[in-house]
Amino acid sequence: MTETLLDIAMMHSDNLIARAKEGDQGAQGKVVQLWYKRIYNFSYKFFLDHDLAMEVSQKTFISMCKNLPALQDNARFKSWLYKIAVNYCREEARKKKGNRSLPFDLVWNRDAEDSPQWESSGNRTDNPERQLQQRELADVLQEALLEINEEQREVVIMKEYEGLKFREIAEVLNISENTVKSRMYYGLDGLKKILERKNINKETIGYGI
Amino acid sequence: MGYKASEQDLMAYLYGELEGKEKEMVEQYLLENAEARLELEKLKQLRHALGHVKDKEVIAPPIFVGDSRPPFIWNAPYLKTIVSIAASLLVVMLVGKFSGMQIGYTDSELRISFGKPSSPIENVAVTPVESLSSDEVQQMINASLQQNNVAMQETWADTQRKLDASIVNNLASNSAKIDNLVKESSAASQQQIREFVASMQAENVQVVKSYFQLSSSEQKQYIESLLVDFAKYLQQQRNDDLQVVQTQLSSLQKNTDTFKQETEQILTSIITTVGSKNSLGTKY
Repeated sequence: MTETLLDIAMMHSDNLIARAKEGDQGAQGKVVQLWYKRIYNFSYKFFLDHDLAMEVSQKTFISMCKNLPALQDNARFKSWLYKIAVNYCREEARKKKGNRSLPFDLVWNRDAEDSPQWESSGNRTDNPERQLQQRELADVLQEALLEINEEQREVVIMKEYEGLKFREIAEVLNISENTVKSRMYYGLDGLKKILERKNINKETIGYGI
Repeated sequence: MGYKASEQDLMAYLYGELEGKEKEMVEQYLLENAEARLELEKLKQLRHALGHVKDKEVIAPPIFVGDSRPPFIWNAPYLKTIVSIAASLLVVMLVGKFSGMQIGYTDSELRISFGKPSSPIENVAVTPVESLSSDEVQQMINASLQQNNVAMQETWADTQRKLDASIVNNLASNSAKIDNLVKESSAASQQQIREFVASMQAENVQVVKSYFQLSSSEQKQYIESLLVDFAKYLQQQRNDDLQVVQTQLSSLQKNTDTFKQETEQILTSIITTVGSKNSLGTKY
């Protein structure tokens, strides 16, 4: 993962968190700005649904602002925040299971409607065909992520995309580090099998080069 | 070499979270184990592929926390219900207060009343009755009933008598009146009819007489005038005829006179012409 300015800011936000804890609303707002994208992307990959991801993110940050004074160790802010997010994701997933209706995005594929989206993203000098392939690969991968079970999905997203250490994930999920690692292993194994089943390999899309 | 890298170790190695001796052990294991190497290679490829999923850009919406407390208290379960019940009870109590409603329960008697309670005279009146025994009450009731019965019977008899008398009176007077009326009417009618018929006859006779008289005189007058008119007309006609004849005659006379004159003139002219010719003839 390449580190952006935002990532660097997040790493050095101890002072900001300390002020937010004291009830400084400006500081709280800044913390939200810093972390919103991460929590949103975590929940988006978990559900592959923008609305649910927005809902989980908002709930997470409302809860964060309320409960920040109760946070004892500022260094554990990151795992604490992901813990809140994971709990809300699980809650929404339970609701979703109870609700038998078909998600609207399955009926109307919003990504397909916005097909020129790839134009604005990334390097324009790249071969458009290759960009399209990459986008399709990203879609296939996200769908594959949805297919593995929730416990493994949480770990894979937190490790692969959120860059948490196994120790931090263990803290978030309140389980042992070894359990986290085996969930990771079986999650990756599952993804590998799903991609093989879908005939995604080096040759078809040119990954691994 | 008895060491076999566990799944956990492989994961830690894959994500670079192994250090020192552990890392060396895994690396050694991989060197010796081609299968594990291949597996790790595949996992690395998978990680690379997973890297294609990019973060989505999103703008954080404003998060409001400050004003979430008061509605939370208000939305507490049953609070609304309890408050509304309390409010309606208060309304009921106020209405009861202003309308002077009183609810009392005494001696198995539930009393709901509005306004001030009625005077206590009722209670005073009720108390002595309670001192009487039931027999006495019964006797009193019987006595009053008997009195009542007697009085009733008397009044009934009285009214009966009155009614009978009045009916008899009415009948008698009515029949007498009707008889009188019938008699009067019959007598009057015979006399009246006779008088009426007589007067009618007399009137009729008079009318017929006068009519005949009147009509005969009128007829006479009319015929006389008719005759006079007719005579006048005849006279007139005769005069007219005479005049016509006279004029005819006079016109005839005129005609003949003119004819005579014309013939005389012609004759004289003829004579003169003939005479002159003779004289001329003779001269030659």
